[in-house]
Amino acid sequence: MKKKLTERRSWMIVPAHNPQLAKTIAQYKPDVAVLDLEYSVAPKYKEQARANLAKSISRIASESIEIFVRIDKASRLADINATIHHGLTGIIFCGADHEREVAEIEALINAKEKERGINSGNIELVIMLESAKGFWNLGEILQASSRISAIGIGRIDLTMQLGPTPQNEFRLFRYLMTRALIAGKMHGKQLLGAMWRPDSRGGVANPASTKLAAEQAKLMGYTGCICASPEQVSPMNLGFSR
Amino acid sequence: MISTPENQTQDNCFDTNKKIPKYIRRSILALSIDDPLLEKKSFDSWADAIILDFSKKSNCGWQQDIHSRMPEAINIAAKGGAEIFIRIDNKFAKSELEATIFPGISGIVLKGAHSAADLQKISSTLDSLEIARGVHSNSIEIDIEVNNATCTWNLLEIARSTARIGIFFLNEQELCINLGIQTEANLPFDPLEYIKSELITVATSIGGQAVGMSYPLSLASESIDGEILRKGILRARDTGFKGAVCPHPDWIKLCNSGFRPSEEEANYYVKVIEVFAEGIKHGMASVPMDGKMIDVPVDLRAKVYLEWAKRAKARDAEKQQAHHKL
Repeated sequence: MKKKLTERRSWMIVPAHNPQLAKTIAQYKPDVAVLDLEYSVAPKYKEQARANLAKSISRIASESIEIFVRIDKASRLADINATIHHGLTGIIFCGADHEREVAEIEALINAKEKERGINSGNIELVIMLESAKGFWNLGEILQASSRISAIGIGRIDLTMQLGPTPQNEFRLFRYLMTRALIAGKMHGKQLLGAMWRPDSRGGVANPASTKLAAEQAKLMGYTGCICASPEQVSPMNLGFSR
Repeated sequence: MISTPENQTQDNCFDTNKKIPKYIRRSILALSIDDPLLEKKSFDSWADAIILDFSKKSNCGWQQDIHSRMPEAINIAAKGGAEIFIRIDNKFAKSELEATIFPGISGIVLKGAHSAADLQKISSTLDSLEIARGVHSNSIEIDIEVNNATCTWNLLEIARSTARIGIFFLNEQELCINLGIQTEANLPFDPLEYIKSELITVATSIGGQAVGMSYPLSLASESIDGEILRKGILRARDTGFKGAVCPHPDWIKLCNSGFRPSEEEANYYVKVIEVFAEGIKHGMASVPMDGKMIDVPVDLRAKVYLEWAKRAKARDAEKQQAHHKL
């Protein structure tokens, strides 16, 4: 049974090519498991990662953990083809710039659901915003697919593109988080993100600063976040708890 | 107008003939027409503007009830010299407008709008009601109370939907709830900072203005220590707000004195204008004063701020006169 959106606090990400890592997910008790086909998988392991997916999804689903797969925009057709299986909760699509890209993903998922005997519309879609264009076109992007259940902010790519040089806090991200919040709430979507600090963020954030980042994001209307390391799951769950 | 070297500076900066801010509405107080002390509270408040709220009887006769009581309520609420507005719920706009539009009001405050289409419908209803009720055509202003995500997202198209739009303000408690933001001021920054920036920019872009308060006072609903409130008002004014909706009558006096250039600032701007005029006479384009450089934009700003101070003073005199009449 699917969880309520507000119950998806910690989204623990693990590279999909390493089944041993995927086996450790349950011990960290994340609300959502994310099998990655994007950054954490080196190009030479992409095929292996895709080949592992069906088995990993089946096993993780048997542990009653919701599973999403983060696909790579550059290889989205092959990734979606390898991803849609019984037990999958949804797909995370990073870097959408236009609604037509989301419409294309929607059509691909539709076709694969039909082909693999999965109830139509069952697979969810999470959009991670990673570009200025994506933020500007957000209203249209969110209307391109009724599967979209959550939106989040891909901070690393945005930082590279927008080029802020943060000192004490990501002021630019407060603006972006606000814009995503307004659009997300307007369309009833979950908001994913945390109030990271420049010196303690993503993969390097310790448990205390992860919890603080989650607590402050919760006050701003966000209810979950991707965990770049397993140690962030527990503080993320605490920070986003009601 | 064809741009020439003589008028270019004015074109490129701002037009000193245009009123900035558009309205002197530093303090806005909401009162209910059901309040037996409506007359006294309005009169004693010294608010620049009053928003009248009403509750509907549960039976089907609410419209007739409000229609019969509203003209008197408008009349008594205006005795202290305040401009009068009626708060209208977007969901029931047509029936509420029919029950509340009468001579004596400056406008309506529309709560719960979502799109430009909402505004166009309301503006069209007002066109008919102005004729039917003997109110000057196109004189009833529409102010926007922003309390939901969709309204926030569509702010610019809403602002451009009708020439009746005047003021924008956030209902921060309701907007926070709608956005899932904590309504207690527990964050070290204003979670609505960027929405406020957009509100001010959008309102100003159509020749209107935004009213509002700085965080965390913007989430307060009670009387606040004078010095804290004074600083909060100064911060709100310097952010671009031209007034505030006062959650407590105690706020009004400080809002009236705070949302305008102070005496000290006015004296400074007088000096700026004099020094700059003297420099121009001597063929200078910019003039040093107290370690700062005075040039055309600074001179223009000084003129606008002095005009603002003068109009605020005139508004105070109007209210004094209204009080002395009785």
